[in-house]
Amino acid sequence: MSGLLPLDSSGMSLRAKLYELNWLLPVLIFVIGAIGVTMIFAATDGVWNQGAAQHAIRIGVAGVVMLIIALTDIKVWYTLSYPAYFGALILLIGVELMGVSVNGSQRWLDLGLMRVQPSEIMKLAIVMAMARYYHDLARWRVSHITGLTGALLLIAVPMALILHQPDLGTTLLLGATGVVIVFLAGVSWRIIGFASVLMAVGLPLFFQFGLKDYQRDRIWTFLDPSRDPTGASYHITQSKIALGSGGIAGKGFMHGTQRQGDYVPENRTDFVFTVIGEEFGLIGSLLTIALYIAVISLCIYLAMKCKSTFSKLLTLGLMTTFTLYIFINLGMVMGLLPVVGVPLPLISYGGTVVMAVMAGFGLILSAHLHRNSDLPRSRI
Amino acid sequence: MARKSKFTSKSSAAEQAKAETILTRRTMFLGVGGLAMFGVLGARLYDLQVRNAENYISLSEDNRFNYNILLPSRGRILDRNSEPLAINEPNYRVVLIPERSHDVENVLKHVGQVIDLNSKDLKRIHQDIRHNPRFVPIAIQDNIDWKTFAALNMRMHDLPGIIPEVAEGRAYPYGGIFAHTLGYIGRAGDKDIAEDKDPLLRQPTFRIGKTGVEAAVEKRLRGASGKLKVEVNAMGRIVREWPNPKDAAIPGQDVYLTLDAKLQKFAADQFEDDSGGISVMDCMTGELRTLLSMPSFDGNLFVNGLTQADMDRMNNDPKRPQFNKVIGGGYPPASTFKMTVMLAALESGLVNPNKSVFCVGKMRLGNRTFHCWKRQGHGAMDMRNGLKHSCDSYFYEISQIIGIDRIANMARRLGLGQNHDIGISGEKSGIVPDEAWKQARLGSGWRTGDTLNASIGQGFVLATPLQLSVMAARLANAKLALKPSLIIGDGIPSFDNLDIDPTHLAFVRDAMHAVCEEPGGTAYRYDSLKLGGVEMAGKTGTGQVRGISTSERATGVRKHGAVPWELRDHSIFVGFGPYENPRFAVATIVEHGGSGAGRAADITRQVLSEALRIDGMGPQPQKEAVAL
Repeated sequence: MSGLLPLDSSGMSLRAKLYELNWLLPVLIFVIGAIGVTMIFAATDGVWNQGAAQHAIRIGVAGVVMLIIALTDIKVWYTLSYPAYFGALILLIGVELMGVSVNGSQRWLDLGLMRVQPSEIMKLAIVMAMARYYHDLARWRVSHITGLTGALLLIAVPMALILHQPDLGTTLLLGATGVVIVFLAGVSWRIIGFASVLMAVGLPLFFQFGLKDYQRDRIWTFLDPSRDPTGASYHITQSKIALGSGGIAGKGFMHGTQRQGDYVPENRTDFVFTVIGEEFGLIGSLLTIALYIAVISLCIYLAMKCKSTFSKLLTLGLMTTFTLYIFINLGMVMGLLPVVGVPLPLISYGGTVVMAVMAGFGLILSAHLHRNSDLPRSRI
Repeated sequence: MARKSKFTSKSSAAEQAKAETILTRRTMFLGVGGLAMFGVLGARLYDLQVRNAENYISLSEDNRFNYNILLPSRGRILDRNSEPLAINEPNYRVVLIPERSHDVENVLKHVGQVIDLNSKDLKRIHQDIRHNPRFVPIAIQDNIDWKTFAALNMRMHDLPGIIPEVAEGRAYPYGGIFAHTLGYIGRAGDKDIAEDKDPLLRQPTFRIGKTGVEAAVEKRLRGASGKLKVEVNAMGRIVREWPNPKDAAIPGQDVYLTLDAKLQKFAADQFEDDSGGISVMDCMTGELRTLLSMPSFDGNLFVNGLTQADMDRMNNDPKRPQFNKVIGGGYPPASTFKMTVMLAALESGLVNPNKSVFCVGKMRLGNRTFHCWKRQGHGAMDMRNGLKHSCDSYFYEISQIIGIDRIANMARRLGLGQNHDIGISGEKSGIVPDEAWKQARLGSGWRTGDTLNASIGQGFVLATPLQLSVMAARLANAKLALKPSLIIGDGIPSFDNLDIDPTHLAFVRDAMHAVCEEPGGTAYRYDSLKLGGVEMAGKTGTGQVRGISTSERATGVRKHGAVPWELRDHSIFVGFGPYENPRFAVATIVEHGGSGAGRAADITRQVLSEALRIDGMGPQPQKEAVAL
């Protein structure tokens, strides 16, 4: 009765699990993934093997991984929360010591068989660790200095390591996700207010001393595009032209002139949304966003169904990361935010992100599938 | 683990419930916040894709489309028989559009590996880049060979903004012989651009006429620019062209000249290495059949810019190849001026044509001695013989009777001393001196000696070969004050009446005929034109370059060949033919060519004969028999 999977204590058979699984989420994910394949196909001028096929295969493989994670008992993931976090931390330190540099940024770790990006693993691990942390934390400590310090340490250490790579986008994403979990965990409004004031003071200082020159440049360029007409702001300008010229109905699949002329760099990866906007117009853009909103809403619904704090915070935390990806990417593409290298999840070409996002959805599905599991609380 | 939770179950349950309430509430709070964020993104999309769509569509079109200026094909210049004198040939060249290359320096560096660019080229290229809008193509190099052109095409992907193209270059199939008349083309200078607002002039690859016919009828030859809509990618590479027939360049018109390439070529061949000019004019229409200055320069050299070596060679050549002598060279007409004196004398009524003057080879005037070219003298001369033998003494005598003003008046009526405006620059008006002229010019009074010098076309008198041909044509035509024309334009020009007594003209023509066709005439040759008895009329002239010293006259060391080239006499001849029914008038000057009866008369006879042959006179080359 202990199920077909090892370490399973849910008492459900595989068949029952497959029946109980929320299939709507994988369906939405695959639809978005299919949009990604199509748009990468267009971005590469209709060539399959320059990303589209690879993307399709990755979505498929990651889908299998997602299902395996989903079918695995949430208790396994609960137990692995801290080990995963510390493992990711060790990998990040490993990157620091012997990482591979790509585009001047040391983010990759060559493990012989494959290259991994520990910061992507950390995005999952930090949510797991913080969900676990607040699951265990006594209610009174949430707004107490002791509880706050623990949460702050959990967030700050990986942030510092990733910022040093340097990868500003991921750092902020990590920080924001952490802050959202702290907020959801119920930290008092007084502390929220205090933190806001601290942020307002700290941000300029961080801008001045915490950033590399090119990162500062990007932000300046964003604030004043005329500073640099052919450099980074060229990117934003061309991106806006691609979106804007798509109009309501778009120029038609494979008919985007901005795309054909290669005016928007990176339109296979971070700027893939420009292809959607140009070729399918406002209608295509809004439909894509609607699909994302559907995924996010579904995640909130799934979170509410869960019994344990761990599952709820895990689901909401992962959903937050996913949402922030979308906000930052779309904000950047539409010229509302500076250019930071954040992909559009499931649509942008790029293996690690697909895998990380899909693994996250696996955890969400597992949390929902095992929503009635009693997860022990070791009081701290 | 269960034990532990049981221990605190009561308070834990309450806390748990409270935490869950907070969690739910805050989740909703964030959900609303998230929706608001999506609202912002949606609003932004609406702003981009609906409100500003038009603007972005046009920006994307701007991105995508460029307009390349299409240069019009320059009109050709043809001779009277549609023989091309100036044409356009394919010219492989490479241009740079700075706007389309992100790093001009780097691109130039790479181009430099294929094409040899010296520092002068680079300086010009940089100057062009600075002085032009960034979308204007800058010439990197013209007339590159096919191999280099192909090599550049191979490397295009490394060289954004570099465009190897096949353009049109000017070519002059006859090389030098039309160079002075046709002129040459070149880049528009600052002055041209200031005067002419045609944007074509700002195109660094565009060429305008700088001198000669090329400049004179620039507007007709130029045409109008067109534009070509091209689709370019982010690298500036043209991915597609969108030609619109409405936007095509309007080619310039072809321009026809009155010249006859065959005759011009023939005339040039007669000059060989000699320096000078020849003008052949139609005695009925004034059309110039030949207008040649020798030696010449190859107009093709100017198309791509002259090298310093070429320039130096031209500037240092004593024969001044770049100087258009036939319209710009003022020479003493010497004895060819005597017809003028004769006509003035006849018109004045003061001199009877039968008046006899006894020539002893010199004549005294006050304390000066005026020599006749024949040291031993001609003996008794009447007016006809005076011209036939070119007796200077006779003209010294009659010019004193009629005075300079009558002579000058007649000279002007015959077309000397004035600019005939044949349409190209460089024409000189020469000098027909009279009392007023000398007073104004030299501030001194006219002296009889000046009249004597002028009567034999020396002294102050200067004329161009063109003017002398006009004079000959007017004498031949006898009715109309013909004016020369070079460019075939609108309508046939009308001429004033010559208004010289026809019997006087007939008398002068008869004397000119005697010069050429009667034994004893200074230019007599048996069957002069070799056209089976077709006769001509003419007059020799030997233009002194400097005064002849008494000792030279005494020792006779003025023989041809004994003095340096640049001090030898100019050989001059004017004439027309056929004598009875004149078709063409010719004036020839061979600089430092010696006696007018020599080189100039020879060339004139040959060219006149050839002109008449081309015109259908005399034996014609047999046409090939057509097989039946």
